[in-house]
Amino acid sequence: MARVKAEQQQPTTGMTLIVLVGLAIAFLLFMAFLNVVKSGNLLSETNLLFAALIFYAGAGALYLGFGVTGTESYVRFASLATWLGLIANTAAVAHRWYEAGHPPFASVYEMLLSFVWTLAVLTLVAEKKFGVKVIGTVTMPVAIVGVVLMQLLRTDVHPLVPALQSTWLHVHVTLAMLAYAACALSFALAMMFLIQDNMKTETFLAVTSASTLTIYASIVLTRFENWGGLSLVAWNPEQKSEVLLSKGVRLFVTIPDLGWVMTLTLLVVASPLVLYGLARWKNNDSFLTLANRAVFISILLQVMTLVMFLVRARDGRYPSLDADGLFATSLAASPFILSGLVGGVFISLLYLLLLWRRPDLERLLPNADNLDRITYKTIGLAFPLLTLMIAAGAYWANQTWGSYWSWDPKETWAAITWLVYAGYLHMRVTRGWRGRRAAYFAILGFAVVMFTFFGVTYLLPGLHAYA
Amino acid sequence: MAVNFRASARKVWQTAASIKTGVVLLILVVIFSAAGTIVLQRPNTEPDEMQNAYSPQALRILDGTGLTDVFHAWWFLTLMILVSCSIIAASVERFPNAWRYFSRPYKYPDESFRRVLYPQTSLAIADEETGLVAAERALHSLGFKPERVVREDHFGIFAERHRISEMGVYIVHASLLLIFFGAVVDGIWGWRGTLNLNEGETSSAVELRDGTTRTLPFAIRCDQAGQENYKDGSPKKWWSKLVVVKDQREVEKKEIVVNDPLVYRGVRFYQSSYGPNGKVEKFSITATPSSGSGEKREISLGVHDTVPLDADTTVRFAEFIPDYAVRDGQVYRRSNELGNPAAHLVVSSKASGKSFDVWFPPLEEIADNSKAPYQLQPADLQMGHFTGLQVSHEPGQWAVWTGVVLLGIGLAFVFYVVHMRFWAVPVRDGKTGKYTLWIGGSANRNRDAFGQRFDDLVALLEETLSTIPKTSPSEQVATVAGH
Repeated sequence: MARVKAEQQQPTTGMTLIVLVGLAIAFLLFMAFLNVVKSGNLLSETNLLFAALIFYAGAGALYLGFGVTGTESYVRFASLATWLGLIANTAAVAHRWYEAGHPPFASVYEMLLSFVWTLAVLTLVAEKKFGVKVIGTVTMPVAIVGVVLMQLLRTDVHPLVPALQSTWLHVHVTLAMLAYAACALSFALAMMFLIQDNMKTETFLAVTSASTLTIYASIVLTRFENWGGLSLVAWNPEQKSEVLLSKGVRLFVTIPDLGWVMTLTLLVVASPLVLYGLARWKNNDSFLTLANRAVFISILLQVMTLVMFLVRARDGRYPSLDADGLFATSLAASPFILSGLVGGVFISLLYLLLLWRRPDLERLLPNADNLDRITYKTIGLAFPLLTLMIAAGAYWANQTWGSYWSWDPKETWAAITWLVYAGYLHMRVTRGWRGRRAAYFAILGFAVVMFTFFGVTYLLPGLHAYA
Repeated sequence: MAVNFRASARKVWQTAASIKTGVVLLILVVIFSAAGTIVLQRPNTEPDEMQNAYSPQALRILDGTGLTDVFHAWWFLTLMILVSCSIIAASVERFPNAWRYFSRPYKYPDESFRRVLYPQTSLAIADEETGLVAAERALHSLGFKPERVVREDHFGIFAERHRISEMGVYIVHASLLLIFFGAVVDGIWGWRGTLNLNEGETSSAVELRDGTTRTLPFAIRCDQAGQENYKDGSPKKWWSKLVVVKDQREVEKKEIVVNDPLVYRGVRFYQSSYGPNGKVEKFSITATPSSGSGEKREISLGVHDTVPLDADTTVRFAEFIPDYAVRDGQVYRRSNELGNPAAHLVVSSKASGKSFDVWFPPLEEIADNSKAPYQLQPADLQMGHFTGLQVSHEPGQWAVWTGVVLLGIGLAFVFYVVHMRFWAVPVRDGKTGKYTLWIGGSANRNRDAFGQRFDDLVALLEETLSTIPKTSPSEQVATVAGH
């Protein structure tokens, strides 16, 4: 991320970036090679994932470079790097599949593995088939976050419990991954549409601030402990699992002072939104200049928070309110807080990209009409996939639990997602909703998808305990 | 009054059929289902958990409004019925038009249609027949089956593909109704319950969700059940050998595993759990005479079994308590869960008429094990197992699965099958008397890709036109005669 920021401030030209990225990749691969020679196991999953990470990071940097400077030659190298990353990723998936004896969909780790793979494939498809070259600017950082998260999550192969031993599971999860990836793509396209549709930059400012605010608010509201601590799930390093007090009740430890840091960052990320509100209210644009500065400060503070979180939550033993003694925690125990923090930085950086390079972006993106049409096509792909995903899940449930529909939260939210997209299609086809309103709907649909995927698993109880 | 009534009925109908109503209903469904995932639901929550989560007052309100069981509340059902009505009304309102469009394809474009259609183009031709032949050939080579249309004194060429695509959306809506129908049938006539069987046991009583028992017209026997584990000890497979018994005859046999149920007469039996049933299958003990003379014997017995130890003495397995507690010199059964088991054996002597209690584990305050004429030592305890079956009867599921398949087909038509139409009409300019061939096309979706296809057709037509020789006089005569 630091490299990304440096580029935004002083855009490099021509070959410099390519050479830099190439050298970085070569250096990292060389380091990895030394490591491999030492361990003597070339094709382990960790090494493959590390290679994928390196290539995806290179691709991400080049895509960002393209987004910032508009140098066409970056894209060629970026897609080459994506291809290489994809090969390593595919090998990792295959390795996992071979090792586990079942397709990699059984745990959060394996789902992430497949998700990142799908994302890389879709990036290449969008680039080669639809000519949306800048898409990698968004998807590659997401892939990088995915791979980093995977390094932190448990990697040992878990055998499948009896209920999961079904072909329909694989059909169901494959369809889910494809559908969610298509939804993610439609979301990114809708955002690009809004840029091309001359939506005001300050509106994006408000949205950015609101999204980061949501992230920090949900962390502070659910995890802030008295005297400024932050409670995190305790982690048992030997068993590589969460510490359970009783069935389904996790043990939380409190990291002192981190709660105050989170609260401070919460206030700072909220400030651009407040300033935006003031600017609208007083009709005074000088507040907006201030708000943009606030975004910049908020990024610095967010990075600082992230670093503090990484340092303190990576390992170390902390007291708990529910049990005596000190307990260990780990980043693997809090994947969602971690991805929230990284996501916040990422969203804010994307806003800065828009703020500083908007004319270039507008030149590079396909025109608004095309984007609108491609968004619709992507949803036209996502919707049947969602339908089949729900149908396959229902069939599987019918074979396992004797009921095709039991109103379990995950099921219900999948149905809600389906209904939201059904609403989109009806409004578009019969009411002729195009442009802005359709884009808002696509964004709403993706928000619901994210909630179904992450929110339901970690907030609402249900049968879908393993995913 | 009558007119008024008709007018208001019409209004109600139009409201029901409007997209706005449909979308409002969808939004309501979304809001209430979301509420049903956030508020704890009675069917999947223990009563104490509910009481812990909400204050009594809040719980009363939630129960009263049905928010603790959203998906079975009358208003949710009403909402689903309204959604169905809206789908039916919207489809009925729009279907006749679509059906006309589908059943009577528009084959000859009139002038006003030709003016507004996009994409369209005109090519110069020598005469009518040349144009028609060229259009036929070009469409043929694109894989269409062009037909010649005659309208009074005009000729035209019409070709189309995938007309069924126009029906896609009706297939989708009809399949949704079919799924709802199946769900309603299951809601009314379907039932679900559990049946726990010990190995060797036969039963036809299914315990339903609401606590009542349903007796099946046949019985199920479990011959054997078992569990296989992974190396790390987590369960890999549960299996049960089930036999359907009807009128004392074995009519069907199947070994079921999770994900592979036994189906008999529409009733399905699923493997859902497996475990110790708290009952003893075999208790092995060693018995040594207290007198010291005589050899050590190994015996095994089930509950209530009596086994002779010698000519005079017998041992009886009186009782097995899976979870015991001792209070006031009495042994109590604390629960039926296998936690803290105790076995009660009675050694009796016929000659003396005396009985001695023996407890495992030894309970000194109850009985002294050493007083018995035989010293008993436990060797092995084999517990019996039960297999937990989910039983369900869902007569509507075939409607549901048919609906799902139709839904898939319908969606494929809606999104990926394009109804393409091409028309070609030779037009004579009134002033110059020269002929041009008017070509138009239309597609119901994916218009940009269709535009490309149309351009291909035009290019092909131009090429074809250049290769066709001047029409022979006889054909010209024919054309004139056709006028």
